[in-house]
Order: sequence, then C-alpha cells, then structure tokens
Amino acid sequence: MDNQGVTTDPQLQQFIEIESQKQRFQQLVHQMTEVCWEKCMDKPGPKLDSRTEVCFVNCVERFIDTSQFILNRLEQTQRSRGTFSETMTD
Amino acid sequence: FSYFAFNNAEAAELQRLIAVEQQKAQFQAQVHNFTDVCWDKCMDKPSSKLDSRTETCLVSCLERFIDTTLTITNRFTQMVQKGAH
Repeated sequence: MDNQGVTTDPQLQQFIEIESQKQRFQQLVHQMTEVCWEKCMDKPGPKLDSRTEVCFVNCVERFIDTSQFILNRLEQTQRSRGTFSETMTD
Repeated sequence: FSYFAFNNAEAAELQRLIAVEQQKAQFQAQVHNFTDVCWDKCMDKPSSKLDSRTETCLVSCLERFIDTTLTITNRFTQMVQKGAH
C-alpha cells in the first residue's frame, strides 16, 4: 500500500467519521447522565418514577439552554470588551 | 501534493489556519468550563424553562468568575514580584 492509501480511501474515511460520531455521542450521553443524575436523583428508590424522569428531560433541555445562554453572553462580552480573551487565555 | 515541501506562503497560511482553529478550540473550552461551573452554582432542580432568576445567576456567575480570576492573578503577580530574589 502506498502512503496515500490511508488518507484517500473513501470507505475508510467514512468508517472513521462514523466511529468518531458514535464516540462523540457516547461521550455526550455519559456527561449528561452524570450531570442530571446529580441534579435529579434524590435517594434511589425501587424504580425510576415519573417525577425523576420529567426532571431528566428538563435537565437535558435546560443544560443545552444554559450552554447556549453562556455562549451568547461570552460572544457579547467579547464583542464589547475586546480584552476579555487576553485575561482568560493564559 | 507533497506534505513536506511547503513554500513560505503555504507555511504561513497553514500557521494562520492552525492559530484560528486553536483560538476557536480555546473559546469552546471556555464555554464548556463556564457551563459546568455555573450550572452547578445556578441550577437547582431543572424545570420546563430557563427562568429569569437562573439567567441572572448565570450572568453573575460569569462576571464573578472573571473577577475572581483577575483578583487571583493580580495577587499572585504581586506575591511573585515581592518574593523575587
């Protein structure tokens, strides 16, 4: 196989892309499970009751909202106060 | 296309692209860090929407975290300057 075979094989490229996607998705699931377990699970009972389930749904959605809110806020700050990135990137 | 024979213009452009991507990655890392930190401080039980009290807390959280970083940075700088032999 020549040196260019690895980077130009479209099937391999696609395989790598799919596996990367699966990995990113799994990472997200693990992170959200940890975050929302902390917020929503009191003392674990004999089953997952509907109140906890509702909390999980809210948790994932509010986490995304929070993420977006902070992103917007930081972009706003960066636009008005150009020195922000200098203080935070060391 | 050979990977090891960039001319100066190509090398400069590649460096520029890398710097831009690094900046983007750094910014994203900051967003994720702030989200984690301020989620812990500001979110009680997640509800069906992001209420204004939580939003206010998030804004305060961001600003106070930056203030804290600056305060600690200045303090350490002072300490180092005083203690330097």
